[in-house]
Amino acid sequence: MKKNYITLLLLIVVSLAYGQKFTISGYVNDKNTGETLIGANVIDTQNENIGTSTNAYGFYSLTLPAGKHIIAVSYLGYQTDVYEINLTADTKHNFDLSEGLLMDEVVVTSTKDDARKNVESTQMGSIDIPIEEIKKLPVLFGEVDILKVLQLLPGVLSAGEGTSGFYVRGGGPDQNLLLLDEAVVYNSGHLLGFFSVFNSDAIKKTTLIKGGMPAQYGGRLSSVIDIQMKEGNNQKYAAEGGIGIISSRLTFEGPIVKDKSSFIVSGRRTYALDLAQPFLKGGNFESTNYYFYDLNTKLNYKFSDKDRIFFSAYFGRDVFKFRQPKRDFFFDLPYGNSTATLRWNHVFSDKLFFNASAIYNDYQFSFRGGQDQFIFKLFSGVKDWNGKLDFDYFLNNVHSIKYGLNFTYHTLTPNTAQANNGDVDFNTGFLPKYGQETAIYIQDDIKVSNNFSLNAGLRGVMFSQLGPYTSKVSGEEFGRLEPAITYTGLEPRMSFRYGLSKNTSIKGGVTMANQFLHLVSNSASTLPTDVWVPSTETVRPQRSIQYATGYFQNFQDDKYETSIEVYYKTLKNQIDYADDYVNDITKEVEDAFVYGKGRAYGAEFFLKKAKGKLNGWIGYTLSKTERSFDGIEGGRWYPAVYDRRHDLSIVGNYQLTKKLEIGGAFIFGTGKWYTPTKGFFFTEQTLNLYYGPRNSERLPSYHRMDLSLNYTPNPDSKRKWKGSWNFSVYNVYNRKNPFFINFETNTDFNSGTTSIEGNQITIFPIIPSITYNFKWNQ
Amino acid sequence: MSKNIFAIIIIGLALSIWSCEQPYTPPVNEDEQELVVEGYIEAGDETNPTFVLVTRSLPFVTEVDAAAFEKLFISDAIVTVNDGSNLVTLTPLCLKDLPEEIRKQAATVLGIDPNNTTINICAYIDLFDQIDRKLGGKYDLNVKVGSQLLTASTTIPNFVGVDSFRWAQPPGEPSDTLAQLLVTITDPVGKNYYRYLTQINDENLIAPFTSVTDDAFFDGKNFEFPLQKAERRTADLDPNTFGLFLRGDSVTVKWATIDKAHFDFWNTRDNAANSGGPFSSYIRIKTNITGGQGIWGGYAVGYYRLKCPEL
Repeated sequence: MKKNYITLLLLIVVSLAYGQKFTISGYVNDKNTGETLIGANVIDTQNENIGTSTNAYGFYSLTLPAGKHIIAVSYLGYQTDVYEINLTADTKHNFDLSEGLLMDEVVVTSTKDDARKNVESTQMGSIDIPIEEIKKLPVLFGEVDILKVLQLLPGVLSAGEGTSGFYVRGGGPDQNLLLLDEAVVYNSGHLLGFFSVFNSDAIKKTTLIKGGMPAQYGGRLSSVIDIQMKEGNNQKYAAEGGIGIISSRLTFEGPIVKDKSSFIVSGRRTYALDLAQPFLKGGNFESTNYYFYDLNTKLNYKFSDKDRIFFSAYFGRDVFKFRQPKRDFFFDLPYGNSTATLRWNHVFSDKLFFNASAIYNDYQFSFRGGQDQFIFKLFSGVKDWNGKLDFDYFLNNVHSIKYGLNFTYHTLTPNTAQANNGDVDFNTGFLPKYGQETAIYIQDDIKVSNNFSLNAGLRGVMFSQLGPYTSKVSGEEFGRLEPAITYTGLEPRMSFRYGLSKNTSIKGGVTMANQFLHLVSNSASTLPTDVWVPSTETVRPQRSIQYATGYFQNFQDDKYETSIEVYYKTLKNQIDYADDYVNDITKEVEDAFVYGKGRAYGAEFFLKKAKGKLNGWIGYTLSKTERSFDGIEGGRWYPAVYDRRHDLSIVGNYQLTKKLEIGGAFIFGTGKWYTPTKGFFFTEQTLNLYYGPRNSERLPSYHRMDLSLNYTPNPDSKRKWKGSWNFSVYNVYNRKNPFFINFETNTDFNSGTTSIEGNQITIFPIIPSITYNFKWNQ
Repeated sequence: MSKNIFAIIIIGLALSIWSCEQPYTPPVNEDEQELVVEGYIEAGDETNPTFVLVTRSLPFVTEVDAAAFEKLFISDAIVTVNDGSNLVTLTPLCLKDLPEEIRKQAATVLGIDPNNTTINICAYIDLFDQIDRKLGGKYDLNVKVGSQLLTASTTIPNFVGVDSFRWAQPPGEPSDTLAQLLVTITDPVGKNYYRYLTQINDENLIAPFTSVTDDAFFDGKNFEFPLQKAERRTADLDPNTFGLFLRGDSVTVKWATIDKAHFDFWNTRDNAANSGGPFSSYIRIKTNITGGQGIWGGYAVGYYRLKCPEL
């Protein structure tokens, strides 16, 4: 036995010593702003099979044989940078890339760029969307919205007309892990979800992972949306902003110490109803208002090439004030997220990159209203303290290893209600629920041969519900931090890529995941009133296994990227409300849950053109998603609200001239499932509705087209101030897509006549908008 | 509660600005009509006779005329109530067969306008008051329509009456013409369920939009709260007069304690009727009828006749 170990050790030593190798490492930055570039390709031009890409902090490490090399670094939308080096020792080199206007204009020889990842990365079901691409697309009410652009990708379905909520591969809205600089965002929507909380001006990059989730991510079953905030220009001061019909925004960034440290502050606020205030004066609802705002900020400091710290924070609130002064009736309804992330990057060696993060996030919903002496208050929220350690170990050209540890302390406050009527008080007295979630992971991106690579990972998770808590089952009392129940899980994650030729590959993967926090909604889309609940002794963790495989091919020198992916997913311990559930604030929501299972499968077709004057994509999804709950119609499998048979998006952007760019999107989707009205019956001379089986009818198909025109009057201006106009039309041909259906009945019981009227309500007919955007550079 | 207000108001604002409406006809399956039972049994100082209506549900139809309307009422059912010691068969009665005076009384009991009724509806009534109606009683209902059997069971809980009524100025701006009705009850410890209906002058007794409450907020307490004047759902509502009584009106309050199943029916029904729209999903009305829709409900009941004083 011992002998074997020694042989093995010897083999390793020999293999390491065989042919002298050195490592070149460093950062890839934007030359003008100093922003690090995430996912930039770094390759050895003499051997294109040797290459790497920058990590989430813009760091790369490439190990090459001693001797002369030409290293090329490419990034979509930037001119490729080439560095010639004679490697005789481990070397540090940072690349600074200049923005190129159009990729076609940039002469690129013998380098790989972003499009190669489609066929060469082991990762599947993942899409990066640079914010500049998002900003060119048509918008609703002038608001650029990342989450709405994600809905245009195959496998991602919009939760409803105009909403930023979405479903990924048959998963519920709570199964998407939304990260803003690593902080979990529990509520991604403003104004009932019509706008997302992500202010596009403060965002650098958005990555969507819908299948083959790498082991570094966990806690959600269906997808990861990893959003990175900009760091701020460390070269010069700059400002950016926009004035729109319902809101305006302003971003200011600049160096604190040039090349070393920078800041960015970005804000946005709506004012549509502020402008309406004079019209409400003297009316029944004087002083009623609704607005929302966001504030993003980030600071960073580079101590050396080895050490860097970042601090980023987000604060956003929706504020709804309702006033009916004549009847002394009012309520205030503020809600929103706040997050803060402190990160420390340390480069231990040319091969070992380390990041430590301390993260705080908080989502609060509160309501305070009343009339006369009666006052009613409601509060719910989630608060997390999260610590993370992540290591990137660029071992050699075969193994690229990531490992780390993640610990989160959750505090979840269920809907706690308080009421007061004169001298009578009421309080539901629900205590917050506490939990700790620990995860440890390791993954290795292994290049087995030029054709075959493998990403194998394992994530171990543990969740404990902590005291103070009194068991609902046994009555046992648990003290502070004492675990009431613990769930564990092992989550193997594996994906592989096999290259059939230079331009084609097949990929496959399997992902297991556990989810310990749940959001259950009994409405068609999620509302800020919906409450996050942890796994407890009665609420078991959601679990899923997803299998996916796909065929990937690039055409015409990577001008066109195509893929076909199929997936099959099973879901356990899914949660819903029974059909006769009535919102009752005196009971904890978890006591009203029913539990079941789900399955989802589908095929996704994707064609993308990222280069040239015309770019865009076509995405089509054919899918089916079902749920079965013992407590709902005896366990019958029924189509989930997340099910849509056909979903098609065509997105395009065309640069007419330097001044003019047009964009468009066409969306088609099978109608949403709904539970149909089966009939009407009388009680107390009034007609009541009763329903057929759950989700047994579909609304008419959904489709619409949006167009946009971006006009930049002086694109080549050397002036510090640059303005541009965005004209957008949402739903150009005014399709009356049904948002919901209501019935009005009119009965005269005395004469024995009744009439029933069904109405289909459309909330977004054709909506034009105009936004003035500006940039200022020092 | 907050959810409904929140969604209704925001969507109200949004809809008034952008939305548009077009007629919608759902898929219709006329064969799927269901049997519906609506029956009540009351105990107290002043009670309605026990009666049961047996109807068929309507599929989606745009218009129902009087002839079709009358056909919804089933007159050949066999309806029995078991009070634990007697099995009583209720007597089928159709309005058109009754002498004028009795017809008016029957219409009132059934909750329809005795003076303007032209419709002939049929009901099953405990004509000779054979059922032993008492607080704490349990009553099993059987309805046979052809080969179909519908069953239900209800109880009449103990009565918790109103301690006192008080007329007050409406909240907010004082008014010369409007008043708010406040009621005080002493809720016994333990779970209790309440329902009320109001009647203005000679109009019918009708239920307010939220007609039931449990005692979650005031269990075991002496508690004063406003009673709303019931409004027809079809009426255009004025937020400034909603739920308030006109000074000078005669007001009858029917106040009842009910059991859990009876509460669940009205609670789901009121919520279903008050919600709808984009953000609330459908709510299935929780019936206590096995084999059909509707309610067989026991009431421990008190009637209070009040006069809303002029200023």
